[in-house]
Amino acid sequence: MSDDPRVLILGLDGATFTVLEPFMRSGLMPNLAKLTQGGVRADLRSTMPPLTPPAWTTLMTGKRPGHHGVFDFFQKEAPGSEYYRLSTSNDIKTPTIWSLASDYDKKVISLNFPVMFPAPQVNGSVVPGGWMPWRQLRLGCYPPGLFDRLKELPSFDPKELSLDMELEAKAIDGCPDDEYEEWIELHARREARWIEILTYLMTSEEPADLVAVMFDGTDKLQHLCWRFIDPASRPAEPTEWEQRMIDLCEGYYSKLDAMLGDIIELCGPNTTTVVASDHGFGPTWDMFYVNTWLEREGFLVWADESSATADDSAPRVGFDAMTRHITELDWSKTVAYAATPSSQGINVVEKLPGTDEPMTAERRAEIQAEIIARLEQVENPFTGSKMVTDIVTRDEAFSGPHELIAPDVSFMPADGAAISILRSDDVVRRRELANGNHRFEGIFICNGPDTRSGVIIDQVSITQIAALVLYSLGVPIPTDLDGDVPAEVFPPGHLDQVPPQFVEPVATVATNGSDIDLDADEEDMVVARLRALGYVE
Amino acid sequence: MNTPLQGDVLELLNEMAEDWEYEGEIELETFFIADLELESLDLVVLGTALQERYGKLPFSEFLAELGEKPVDERDLTAAQLIEFIRINIKPVSAGGAL
Repeated sequence: MSDDPRVLILGLDGATFTVLEPFMRSGLMPNLAKLTQGGVRADLRSTMPPLTPPAWTTLMTGKRPGHHGVFDFFQKEAPGSEYYRLSTSNDIKTPTIWSLASDYDKKVISLNFPVMFPAPQVNGSVVPGGWMPWRQLRLGCYPPGLFDRLKELPSFDPKELSLDMELEAKAIDGCPDDEYEEWIELHARREARWIEILTYLMTSEEPADLVAVMFDGTDKLQHLCWRFIDPASRPAEPTEWEQRMIDLCEGYYSKLDAMLGDIIELCGPNTTTVVASDHGFGPTWDMFYVNTWLEREGFLVWADESSATADDSAPRVGFDAMTRHITELDWSKTVAYAATPSSQGINVVEKLPGTDEPMTAERRAEIQAEIIARLEQVENPFTGSKMVTDIVTRDEAFSGPHELIAPDVSFMPADGAAISILRSDDVVRRRELANGNHRFEGIFICNGPDTRSGVIIDQVSITQIAALVLYSLGVPIPTDLDGDVPAEVFPPGHLDQVPPQFVEPVATVATNGSDIDLDADEEDMVVARLRALGYVE
Repeated sequence: MNTPLQGDVLELLNEMAEDWEYEGEIELETFFIADLELESLDLVVLGTALQERYGKLPFSEFLAELGEKPVDERDLTAAQLIEFIRINIKPVSAGGAL
């Protein structure tokens, strides 16, 4: 192991070699190409579902969703509940690489990772990403006072740092043509603002041992602009406007590459750099209306059928309608439903419809089996092929202490089709133009003083990144992680010569649905505040 | 004259509003959406922050009730939020036990 190791994690949300490979070959991304040529490269297998919150949380914890507790942007209030709330850092029920490194006095910088609000108390700095509203970014920064220091930076603009649900919906459900240009340029500016923060923290404060920043413009642009980004998907004879969008997208990746080069240089030569995405990407044309399908199959009934109308706009996932199922379904008749398009999951209700009596485990298992059997038969009317692949039960996908808040059935739409939770006249609809959507295969690049050079290895699991990061930092690895150190990253025999150190895991608690989880010190602070307000004698 | 809880919440909101584009002072009658132009996600995250401050509150149910109102009535004042907190603060002993 090299002395004074530093680890740099460059997160590229949704990045895929389908895009990066031609960009590296064409010279558009020379820094990434250099890093890859001098290191190890592999496809990175994501989680089920291949989605930002569960997948990045797996990268941060080394555990699958059933073991860390985050399954979607939204979480069930409690096992069996039909109510959902936003996922928060309190839902991560196991230590992260930030806390594990901090426990061994390693200094940490963590920027723009999702599910990091409320910010964890680490030995270093955290600025959360994901759906962190800009108005409350002050509350999300750790340590206290960090936000005020960041406000002094020349181009600090919380409105452009944060990404909220409205912007997420624009990426996925589309926007008018005249908004594309600003949308693309916004993301280039956002990445630059994160670089400004990282540079400030690394140069003005104590440099960190574990430096991590996540860029999510890659995901947002690929959703909306796939047909301009992927060289194989571009129009053969682009219009002037289409060529402008192609140039802007390439400009984004070129700027991103320059930023990656700056960070790598800033971190110095004794750094192990890990580039990873939470999932991959590919084109998508079709939209699978899962709740409409459940209705046709007799599992779901919409509320107030006489007035409910099908969505006759362009195909869309219903991002702004997430968790609205509470009021849109007839709960006296519905036995299964999808609450969010992002979960790629179907939930079976816990009570016999129209009663307060619990549904027996046997009956729930029967419904689960019926759904799976019928899902396997769904055909895409436009292609004649299977509409759904990778159908798994909750036990198969999420076995672990937190599985009870996971969907009962999870699936992957074939060919990256998008999922909608809205009501529709058709179970499958086709978009006029290809968008981008998630795939299981993301990217992994590792380059450091101890790694192999110029090597492509077999697929690495996203569960292995945490162990790799801790090993490269010289921090003991908890024995209960789901992924081990990928030995192929290092020369043969390296792990025998410099074996990983292991440590007994910290006990974790089963999910109780609470979005607030205070430790003893935090409880004391709350009691002190309530005492001051006269609520405690 | 504000109660201690009203003063505490208003102080927090006014501290946060220094980062916003709202130039007035947040008072009990201030509406979160109509006046402060907050979005639904802002309220969700504010709920998490308030629970860090005052302990567990049934905030999801509170927001779900708000969401079921007609669109033009989907708003609340600082006073309504504070009253929700007052009613739902869990009685605690001096020893903690939240």
